[in-house]
Amino acid sequence: MFACIYVPDFPVQAVLLDESKERPCALLDGPESLLKVVVCNEAARSAGISIGMTKLQAEVCGVELWKRSPEDEDSAQAILLDCAHGFSPRIEVTSPGTVVIDLAGSERLLGAHETVAALIKDRVEERGFETNVSIAANPDTAHCAARGFRGITVIEEGDETRRLSPLPITVLEIEPDVLEILETWGIRNLRGLAALPEIDLTERLGQYGLQLQRLARGATMRELIPAGLPTVFRESEELEESVELMEPLCFILNHLLEELIEQLIERSLATDQINIELELEAYADRETNALPSRSGLVPYHRTVKLPVPVQDAKVLLKLLQLDLAAHPPHGAVKKVAIEAIPARIRYMQAGLFQPRAPEAAKLEISVARIRAVIGATDSQGRLRVGMPALLDSNQPDHFQVVQPGSKHLRHAIPPEPQLALRRFRPVIPARVELNAGQEPVWIGFLQQRVQVINASGPWTNGGQWWDAKGKWLREEWDVDIALDGNNQPSTYRIFQELTTHRWFVEAAYE
Amino acid sequence: MSSVAVIRAQVERRIPGALTVYERSTPEVFSSGISVVDRETGGIPKGALTQLCAPVGITSGRTTLLLSLLAQITNQKEEFCALIDATDCFDPESALAMGVCLSRLLWARCSGHGMKAVEQAFRVADILIQNGGFGVIALDLGNVEEKLLRKIPLTSWFRFARVMEKSLTALVILLTHPAAQSCAALTLHFDAATAEWSGTETVSHSRLISSVKFNLEVGRTRTKKPVQRERSYFAARPQWA
Repeated sequence: MFACIYVPDFPVQAVLLDESKERPCALLDGPESLLKVVVCNEAARSAGISIGMTKLQAEVCGVELWKRSPEDEDSAQAILLDCAHGFSPRIEVTSPGTVVIDLAGSERLLGAHETVAALIKDRVEERGFETNVSIAANPDTAHCAARGFRGITVIEEGDETRRLSPLPITVLEIEPDVLEILETWGIRNLRGLAALPEIDLTERLGQYGLQLQRLARGATMRELIPAGLPTVFRESEELEESVELMEPLCFILNHLLEELIEQLIERSLATDQINIELELEAYADRETNALPSRSGLVPYHRTVKLPVPVQDAKVLLKLLQLDLAAHPPHGAVKKVAIEAIPARIRYMQAGLFQPRAPEAAKLEISVARIRAVIGATDSQGRLRVGMPALLDSNQPDHFQVVQPGSKHLRHAIPPEPQLALRRFRPVIPARVELNAGQEPVWIGFLQQRVQVINASGPWTNGGQWWDAKGKWLREEWDVDIALDGNNQPSTYRIFQELTTHRWFVEAAYE
Repeated sequence: MSSVAVIRAQVERRIPGALTVYERSTPEVFSSGISVVDRETGGIPKGALTQLCAPVGITSGRTTLLLSLLAQITNQKEEFCALIDATDCFDPESALAMGVCLSRLLWARCSGHGMKAVEQAFRVADILIQNGGFGVIALDLGNVEEKLLRKIPLTSWFRFARVMEKSLTALVILLTHPAAQSCAALTLHFDAATAEWSGTETVSHSRLISSVKFNLEVGRTRTKKPVQRERSYFAARPQWA
């Protein structure tokens, strides 16, 4: 079975979305010099408005006149799709304001057809639309019934021709020349069209005529053309007064995020990336409140990526808040837009004996908070917080820090403890005195001069000789040295850069 | 009824639990992966502070013990650990050689110097303790001078101890002296280790470190009854031995 949601006078309802639909209202469109009425509601029609009237003629009727707004219609259409996605993932956008839902298999979940239709109508009306809902065995019959009958209509299979018969032929959206021919034949409703002899109709109107007759009989069957999932969900808000402080900005972000998350939840989706676009008022000198240096607004973009898709607006708000606190916009915010990149929710089977781990979304917030405390990256561009990962290189201390992930490689634990190093970052410059055999005997570093008791080396290490910037060549030594106040020697690793002949203390064995 | 019992009954009626002795439950422990340490200490206690103390600059064995513990938790138990590195001295290569699963180790490298690094490390520790879900949170203040550690108010350690009590996480702190005092459930003191060298003494390129013998002393423990101070030893081998 298929359900059809039809919003009569959709462009008018899109403009009056959160307002009373009883008010007579007409929409104008066209060039500014020749604005004409393109659509109006029932109340406006009662007041004498008809399609094609000029603005001047319409003003005489005393109805509200608005300019047609494609943005409002897109936004209203998105709301309608959200409502439809709440009932089935297979939906078709037949036309603006008309959505067909495939209800196959949902009877046990949602109940009888009348109940489903009432649920759909309630859901759509909650969002501010007046709508007709119909249910039929094929999409076209459901569409015709929704356009022709007010409120809820349920047409059982096999009863289509009888139920559709009283409807006027205009519900079929017939081409104007064909409509004129049918009117000259005296065909006013679908009963008349359905009763025409098929062969004679085909001879006069061709396959198009036959198709119209099948529609009138409710005898068509076609596959739905499902609406694809949007690649990005976007919400934006233009502010009357610009916002300078973080707290009021967070209120706006929270509102937009909640709307985005609601849309994602309707489609059983989550998000793993949020893009925020701010438009800022630019001032040449903010200290003296000088005039803006340029007339336009300055765009400001930030992106927050998550390791796992989330559906929690609070988590996203906290991450955005931390990111904006770390990278504050350099002006007052005039417009806010947020994009959520949709991702499938990851379902994981929780095990009773599974090792515990930090909750992914919570950990992401903690990492962002830590980043705010210790900074995002070091002087070499490596992350300051994350999971360490060794790079495929022989270069000492060559590693990267990556975002927490879900892939874990197991390494064998050696039977005996391995001697660990504590590195000095950056390495400590040293003065080394060598004996006749070119072995270190004294080392001076960190304002102390110590004797070398044991030395092992030199161990030559080098690489990337083909790269002038990245190449390294050095001789390493392991040395026992007696530091001040300690009787026992301590073991350090030192090295000499063979290109510059400078010595450094690299690490201590601990 | 004796007068003491009467007084006791009266006090307990007015202030219930006033005279009840608060008994700490015996904490669960993690194995450190080094049998000598486990035998002497009973293991690294969960839900409590453990401090590993050694003077700055000496080859003590604190880091070897910490990496061995991290290898046990991340590799054997498959739990996540966190390492707060106040002086950015952690060596991922040594950790991997010890068997640490690096993808289960959250490493936070502080950017400040001196007291600023200590403050950053404490703030990060606070965030991670609140986050929960870690097996071990290691706070490496091993290269921080003693005079800076003495500036940390004792209330900070008390707060950590109280927060940790209700969790299953072990907070392991590398220090130069036992700054956490009685807030720590386990304190281990490390002294300078002895390195054993192989090869001919006069020919440096024939010499290699064959093993290092670390010595430690249990300063304070709640998992075992107090004993006379005695030293224990464990050995570690370099990767080439």
